[in-house]
Amino acid sequence: MSVSSSRKITLILGAELEKLVTLPLVWLTLMGTFILNLVLAAAFTSAGLQGAAGTQSILKIGLASMGYLQAGFIILGILATCSEYTGGQIRTTLTTIPWRGFQLFTKHLALAIVTIPMAFIIAASGVLYAFIMMKDTALVIEIDAMIKTLVGATSYLTLTTLLSAAIGALLRRTTPALVVLLGHYFIVSPLLKDFLPSIKNYFPDTAGYYMFMPPSSDEINVLTPMQGTGVSMLWTLIIITVAIVFFRKRDA
Amino acid sequence: MRAFNAELSKLFSLPSIWLAFLIGAFAPAVIAALDSTAQKEKIIAGVSTRLSEVGYIGLGLGVQGVIILGVLAVSSEYLTESSESGGGNQITTSLTVVSSRFHFLLAKASAVTVISILLSVVAILTTVSATNLILGEYAPAFEASRLIGAVCYWIFTALLAFGITVLTKNGIIPLAVLIINSSVVTVSYLLAKVTKLAFYLPDKAGVDMFMFTSDSFHTPFKGGLIMFAWVAVLFIVAAIVFHRRDVTS
Repeated sequence: MSVSSSRKITLILGAELEKLVTLPLVWLTLMGTFILNLVLAAAFTSAGLQGAAGTQSILKIGLASMGYLQAGFIILGILATCSEYTGGQIRTTLTTIPWRGFQLFTKHLALAIVTIPMAFIIAASGVLYAFIMMKDTALVIEIDAMIKTLVGATSYLTLTTLLSAAIGALLRRTTPALVVLLGHYFIVSPLLKDFLPSIKNYFPDTAGYYMFMPPSSDEINVLTPMQGTGVSMLWTLIIITVAIVFFRKRDA
Repeated sequence: MRAFNAELSKLFSLPSIWLAFLIGAFAPAVIAALDSTAQKEKIIAGVSTRLSEVGYIGLGLGVQGVIILGVLAVSSEYLTESSESGGGNQITTSLTVVSSRFHFLLAKASAVTVISILLSVVAILTTVSATNLILGEYAPAFEASRLIGAVCYWIFTALLAFGITVLTKNGIIPLAVLIINSSVVTVSYLLAKVTKLAFYLPDKAGVDMFMFTSDSFHTPFKGGLIMFAWVAVLFIVAAIVFHRRDVTS
């Protein structure tokens, strides 16, 4: 059966999207992240309200939970690729889609399509909560700064998800992938910040941090948002490429 | 006893368990070494405010290893095999062999406890030697009572991970929650700034067993008791749920 290649892409993308959307754990993760983010935003906001009035930045407090929020998206990325390997689904997938590089690439594309709106909603909900609670005490924020920050946060979360998916595809098992990624994002990276300040800016998470952090006067931003985006994107693309190369060479 | 041996052998034959051993045994030493190096100048100059916790910070963060251990011990039982090899669940086999669910849970928890003790002893040895190597005469005093506190912290954390995984049957949630919560800036730490009640959370209370920082809230003994109470309650709940539940659903 010959199918034109553009039709092929739509078919594969549709299949990958459907697999993602029908994975119950994906929705559980996203819902859990959403709820957790609101709880954390509430905690950060009430901590912020105790501070001096008129000096708080709503964006900063609304996005303070990003550090924890990314865990949900790391899990999402890992689930998307590792779920193929539990129960041998991968063999069915590769029987119907025998173009391996193409398949993994489309999976990342489908993941991005699912992640972008969810990341935006979740990031925006934190900021919105902080905004509602603090509008009397905080500094006025401009709408375009807010949009810029939210776009940055959304792309950061999306890149993190794609990176996690690629690591998941490389390691093929949920637990090691989870340990490696969470270990990096929550333990190794914060420790490196203290001990090796010179190279920390070039890790995917710290570089990504500059994508959404509003520039502040008291600390020097080493990377501009664009540079941060570039470094994170480079990391993600490299790891996706490595994952695709391995996936093509390896036994399923 | 035979069930206990079986559980030990099952644990040792898991491929991912080596990740837990590696992290548990050596990560504390690496973290302590990095921290010692960073703090060395300050300590020699006599301005360090954290001298008493330099080595112990590794033990506080290295608890990751036993978290993985506790989670894997349970979640590996629930992994579904591929449909090509029968789609089986290990838990079904395990409960056929050891038909008393309570004994099964007890044997598994004991295996996790024993391995956690071993791991924490190894971790203490590597951490103390790393700290002494780098700091020499400035190394903090490693008192037996505090080290016992650290061992208790590791055991209780492993059992918490174990108990939560019995309830969730899936390793992802407990791993994520516990790894994040034992990381550098924990959720409990943030909550502690909002409400005093957060000091009664298991990890915050447990750390007081061996980290004497300025924001310590409990005495070591009281901290240990609070953490133990959490573990005990969780175990009772887990045992009841496990007893009443259908095996795999």
